[in-house]
Amino acid sequence: MRKADIVTAAILLGIGLLILLDCIRLGVGWGMEGPRAGFWPFLMALGMVLGSVVILVQAVQRKGVAKSDKPFIPREAIKPVLQCAIPAAAMVVLTEFIGLYIAAGLYLAVYMRWIGRHSWVTVLILSIGIPAVSYIVFDKFFLIPMPEGRLKGLLGF
Amino acid sequence: MDILGHLWMGLQVATTPYNLLVGVAGIILGIIVGVLPGLGGANGCAILIPVTFVMPPTAAVILLSSLYWGALYGGAITSILFNIPGEPWAVAVIFDGYPMAKKGKGGQALAASFFSHFVGGLFGAVLLTFFAPIVAEFSLRFGPPETFSVMILTFSALVGLGGKSPIKTLVAMCLGFAMAAVGIDIVSGQLRFTYGTTFLMGGFNFIVAVIGLFGLGEIFLTVEEGLKMEGVKAKLTLKDIAEVLRAMRKYWKTVIMGALVGVWMGFKPGGATPASFMAYGFAKAGSKEQEEFGKGHIAGVFAPEAAAHGAGTSAMLPMITLGIPGSPTAAVILGGLMIWGLQPGPMLFKDKPDFVWGLIASTWTGLFIGLVCVLAFAPAFAAVLRTPFAILMPIIVFVCAMGAYAVNNRMIDVWYMIIFGIIGYAFKKLEYSMAPMLLALVLGDMAEQTFRQGLIMSQGSGWIFFRPPIALPIMLGAAIIFIWPAVTAVRDRIRKGKAAVAKA
Repeated sequence: MRKADIVTAAILLGIGLLILLDCIRLGVGWGMEGPRAGFWPFLMALGMVLGSVVILVQAVQRKGVAKSDKPFIPREAIKPVLQCAIPAAAMVVLTEFIGLYIAAGLYLAVYMRWIGRHSWVTVLILSIGIPAVSYIVFDKFFLIPMPEGRLKGLLGF
Repeated sequence: MDILGHLWMGLQVATTPYNLLVGVAGIILGIIVGVLPGLGGANGCAILIPVTFVMPPTAAVILLSSLYWGALYGGAITSILFNIPGEPWAVAVIFDGYPMAKKGKGGQALAASFFSHFVGGLFGAVLLTFFAPIVAEFSLRFGPPETFSVMILTFSALVGLGGKSPIKTLVAMCLGFAMAAVGIDIVSGQLRFTYGTTFLMGGFNFIVAVIGLFGLGEIFLTVEEGLKMEGVKAKLTLKDIAEVLRAMRKYWKTVIMGALVGVWMGFKPGGATPASFMAYGFAKAGSKEQEEFGKGHIAGVFAPEAAAHGAGTSAMLPMITLGIPGSPTAAVILGGLMIWGLQPGPMLFKDKPDFVWGLIASTWTGLFIGLVCVLAFAPAFAAVLRTPFAILMPIIVFVCAMGAYAVNNRMIDVWYMIIFGIIGYAFKKLEYSMAPMLLALVLGDMAEQTFRQGLIMSQGSGWIFFRPPIALPIMLGAAIIFIWPAVTAVRDRIRKGKAAVAKA
């Protein structure tokens, strides 16, 4: 947990510094239009930088408790979390190419079969049925288009 | 009389067949998202926002607020029967609700929760109905400095009251404000924080942030805990209801205390979750049967549940009167208002009375419809949770992805959703509070604009934010709330020191 705390604080510190840099480009003083565009974000970035430095120092100082410290992710939990995150990310990648509904169908099928070990009948009914129902409700009924991917354009539908 | 007349008009708006149907649909969806861990009021509303684009604004707000009322009712079902909070504000009810269910009194625990929700919601609805017009009238006198001072009060309350580490809350809040600034600055027209990229030009959409932080993040946490949904089965009979009503008469003071704590905590930004814990603590401290608490005492269900619903309802008050939401869900509804082209705040009461009073009336109708739904169908809603997790989880992710995409029809938002999910997961584990970050993202533009306008009015002097008669007391209140954790920390340290001296 301590390591994760340090890493997170360092990332936040980095983001804060990055924002400060751009604020200086935008101008933090008083301009024609009143306070310039960088003024307010400058204060916020300053808050981030100072705050994350404090968190960083506090976390580093907690050296003594490192042994009793809980890990950020318990070892046995790493697998299920990755099993959840990777297919979800894969679905988004696939969506770019084949559209959300087909990608979601594949995603549902893979997850239910691979992790859930449900029977093929259940898997097929749900992974075809749920995107189909969503398509009817959103695209047809509420007229909310979902991403169709590049494939559709290539095939010339 | 005027207010009752308005309320009557609002009720007519809220009970047209279409709006009533929308309201019932919202409540049922709300109970379902409330029951499911990983989906809640905030991201339920966020996912539904694209659907509301095809509706008139009044129906849209009734849908979202009904979903909110439903989620308030629904969270307790998971807590009581499954020993897992369906919603953050339903943590405190576990202490006594789950032991009751294990003793075979699950029906009573559920009924006790639902009826106390009803009472808490009633208090909130009364406050909203009679107090909102007064606050709105009063806030007509607000200029940019006053609005900014209310904003400061909001955020100092979040830093002072919420979370274990005030510094982490502060950093999360600043990050939220910084993210709100990404994109084109409307005053100067300059591009900010895009670093030459095009995908950052559109900025961050807070609805996407909600879906990621509260939806995906929560799912990662649930997966990590390796959740097994094994609940206690319970039936809810008329006998249980009679029993609970009798108990309620005995503990009426506890119920009302809970409702009042809730309304008070929800009205100012603090939220339903601390309110429910606070009410539980008060109920236990003031009880003659203290040792029964934690073992299934019915008063331990009454107090936090009344507080949770009271807080949830009254969180709408600052949202419609000042445009400053009291809870994450209220923030999403506020975002909806902006998307529908309505400017929340005092003028809304004058310009769109049917909208405002339709919304207020829907809190009343929602209370009754919600109570009937949960009393009649609680076991059915609990059955949703018995769906295997490997089926539920990917469906929730799919629905989240649809919601994130549909807000702006941008694929990049789906990626942001995943990134926000990871941020939410890490922040939750490291105890950075997410509500302040989210509110900062929502209110960022308004905070910055009022800040700049205030400074332009005073030609650069920061003292304008302390001008009497309105801004000064608000700022003083904010300062007190802000330094409060430091004061209590010092006090505790002195006490501990004294105790150590006494021991030696």
